[in-house]
Amino acid sequence: MTARDTLGNPLEDVVVWAMPKAAAPLRTRPAAVEQRNKTFIPLVSVVQTGTLVHFPNRDEIRHHVYSFSPAKRFEIKLYAGTPVDPIAFDKPGEVVLGCNIHDHMIAYIYVVDSPWFAKTDKDGNARIDGLPAGDYDLNGWHYAQDKSSASIPVGLRADDARSAAFSIGRRPMRPGPVAK
Amino acid sequence: MTSTPRAGGRLQDRIVVFFVVLLMAVQLVSFVLIRYAIDQTAQNTLREELRVGARIFQRLLQQNSQRLVESTVVLTSDFGFREAVASRDRPTIISVLTNHSARINATGVALLGLDGIVVTDTLQSANEGKPYPEPGILALAASVGRASAMRLIDGRPFQSVIVPVLAPQPIAWVSMDFLVDEVTARDLKNLSSADVSFVNVSERGIELLVTTLPASRRGDLAPQARVIVGEGLDGTRVAMGGEDYEALATLLEGGRGRGIYTILQRSVEEGLAPYKALEAALFIIAGLSLAVTLVGSIRIAQRITRPVTQLAEAAREVERGNYDVRLDGHGRDEIGALATAFEGMVRGLNERNRMRDVLGKVASSEVVTQLMEGRIELGGAEVEATVMFTDMRNFTTIAESLPPQHSLQLLNRVLTEVSEVIESHGGVVDKYLGDGAMAVFGAPITREGDAQRAVMAALEIQTRVAALGPELAKRGLPGAQLGVGMNTARMIAGTIGSPSRLNYTVLGDGVNLAARLEGLTKRYHVPIVAGSNTRASVSGFVWRELDKVRVRGKTVAERIYEPLGREGEVPAGELARLAQWHAALEAFRSRNWHRTHAYLGVLADHPGYGRIVSIYAGYLRELEARPPGDDWDAAFTLYDK
Repeated sequence: MTARDTLGNPLEDVVVWAMPKAAAPLRTRPAAVEQRNKTFIPLVSVVQTGTLVHFPNRDEIRHHVYSFSPAKRFEIKLYAGTPVDPIAFDKPGEVVLGCNIHDHMIAYIYVVDSPWFAKTDKDGNARIDGLPAGDYDLNGWHYAQDKSSASIPVGLRADDARSAAFSIGRRPMRPGPVAK
Repeated sequence: MTSTPRAGGRLQDRIVVFFVVLLMAVQLVSFVLIRYAIDQTAQNTLREELRVGARIFQRLLQQNSQRLVESTVVLTSDFGFREAVASRDRPTIISVLTNHSARINATGVALLGLDGIVVTDTLQSANEGKPYPEPGILALAASVGRASAMRLIDGRPFQSVIVPVLAPQPIAWVSMDFLVDEVTARDLKNLSSADVSFVNVSERGIELLVTTLPASRRGDLAPQARVIVGEGLDGTRVAMGGEDYEALATLLEGGRGRGIYTILQRSVEEGLAPYKALEAALFIIAGLSLAVTLVGSIRIAQRITRPVTQLAEAAREVERGNYDVRLDGHGRDEIGALATAFEGMVRGLNERNRMRDVLGKVASSEVVTQLMEGRIELGGAEVEATVMFTDMRNFTTIAESLPPQHSLQLLNRVLTEVSEVIESHGGVVDKYLGDGAMAVFGAPITREGDAQRAVMAALEIQTRVAALGPELAKRGLPGAQLGVGMNTARMIAGTIGSPSRLNYTVLGDGVNLAARLEGLTKRYHVPIVAGSNTRASVSGFVWRELDKVRVRGKTVAERIYEPLGREGEVPAGELARLAQWHAALEAFRSRNWHRTHAYLGVLADHPGYGRIVSIYAGYLRELEARPPGDDWDAAFTLYDK
């Protein structure tokens, strides 16, 4: 799959996932969003609903990770190292992460109800392997999109390979605090 | 008494007036120019200061709004605030808004959804659920992340700040409103040193929002605001409450002649205050220089006019005849030179005048006048004149019996009398000859009746000298007897001598004859002897013919006469004897000796005839002894002088 913005530039960090028409199997793997050098790594994560996400702090200083997003509200008050309890992301949707003491730190976790997802690389390409044959809706999401992109329905047979293209309009990013 | 020149005409006054008027004119012109320059400079300075004030003001407002924005940003970054907003619990949200806005003294606060719908507004609760009333500000905030603007809420000016609530992405907008009140305006006034007014310009007109002007002036601003706003930053001068103000306006919010403007204004009077001091200094300097000029020009004028006045005074003295004028020490300048020249002139005049005096004494004043006027030339002219010689017959005898001083006194007394009579009859005393004088009637000026006046003078001389008798006797002096000889003839009159020393006189046979006739007075014992020409030239006198004389070297004999007086004044008896005498002469000249004897015999005893009778008796004796030839002309030949 490829993702481009409306100007035709390749779009990185676009979350794409295939939503089966039938029930999706639950195949969660623990995930992690590191804080390194006062930056969340990675910027964009995609997880299946119910995934436990760790927030290991690799910096010398503490961080206060929070989210006021409706999909997952939580906060981990000032901590160092890796908290013992990971956070469970149990609702699908967009979760914006911030650090209360570092305004510029931001990260996105996108929670989907499907185990089949991927992220575009810097060339705007992403690939989802191992999909069983069946009917799917292909979806794309970008943290700076101006509106939700339309789902692309696809029917897959065994050993079938399909490609799809997303064109995503970008809203202007807010000028925010910069890293100090 | 010196004649004072008419007022205003004095040179001194004119000099002083000239300088003073000149200086005043120059001062007036420069004052006007300076005044103009000051006005211009003051206005420009004032306007420039206002512009600077306006820039400062704008910067202040900017900083103020910046500060408000920053405060709001800090406030909305508060975790608790964000958490409360994120809670979506309305009472909690209102509470946190109120609480936090109070921390930064905001007048009002509102929460807007990301869609621009007002969630809650503490100032205008009516707006809740409606779109934010200032979409422009919101759009600005959406594009740059924060916005600040002036806006009116219920007719009051507010500085409104809109910032997002970041969590860490925007989850809502917070709008904080800060009232711009008089306290704010006064703070701004203190910093920009101008009166600050906020006005709202709308289609309804101009509305004064907030001002630092005193209440008494506020009413004046409204009518002028349109003009001030129209001029904008260019500035203009307006009159408010009888005072001039420089004013300019800057747009805070809005555009195209609408919106919220700030009007900055400064009193021209206050702006001019430093220049007033300069003006006062100029006045003082002008006054001082005027005074100095006045004193200086008076002194200079006096230095010029005092010597001139003195010179004029001296000239008047000289005119009156006083040559003894002294001028005060004079300098080396032109006036000093004039004074020196004047003194030289006076000395010259004085000398010439003295010379004239002396000349008048040694020569007749008429001659002197003619000499001085240059009318008498060397060489002379032939004139018809009557010459008179007088001689004091017995002076030698008198001089022998008197001390020299007394005899000179006598002589001078008599000569003075003689001179007076001659001059009063228009004669000229030509010179004094020993105890006598020579006088001329008819030269240098020939006039009608010269001979007539000469005869009258001769008669009066005799009368006057006779009248001196008692006076002389009183001084112990003997009476004087004068013999007068006179003749009328053509003669040469002119200056004789060298150009450096001249004598004006008359020359000729006629003059010599007159001198001889004077000598004959002694022979005939008569006071006056006149030539026949004189007798012929006059009228109105009674004459006695004395004789017929032949001057040596002359062939023609001259009849000589004695004037007895004016016709009508000679007594009748005398006239009768005169007739007898003339009859005797007739007989004598016709060689009738017998008859001549008879007449002489009758006349011999009469006073005045004794001497002449004896002379003729002598003639008769000689003629009878030697009867004359046919060429006898009855003339007596004058051999001696």
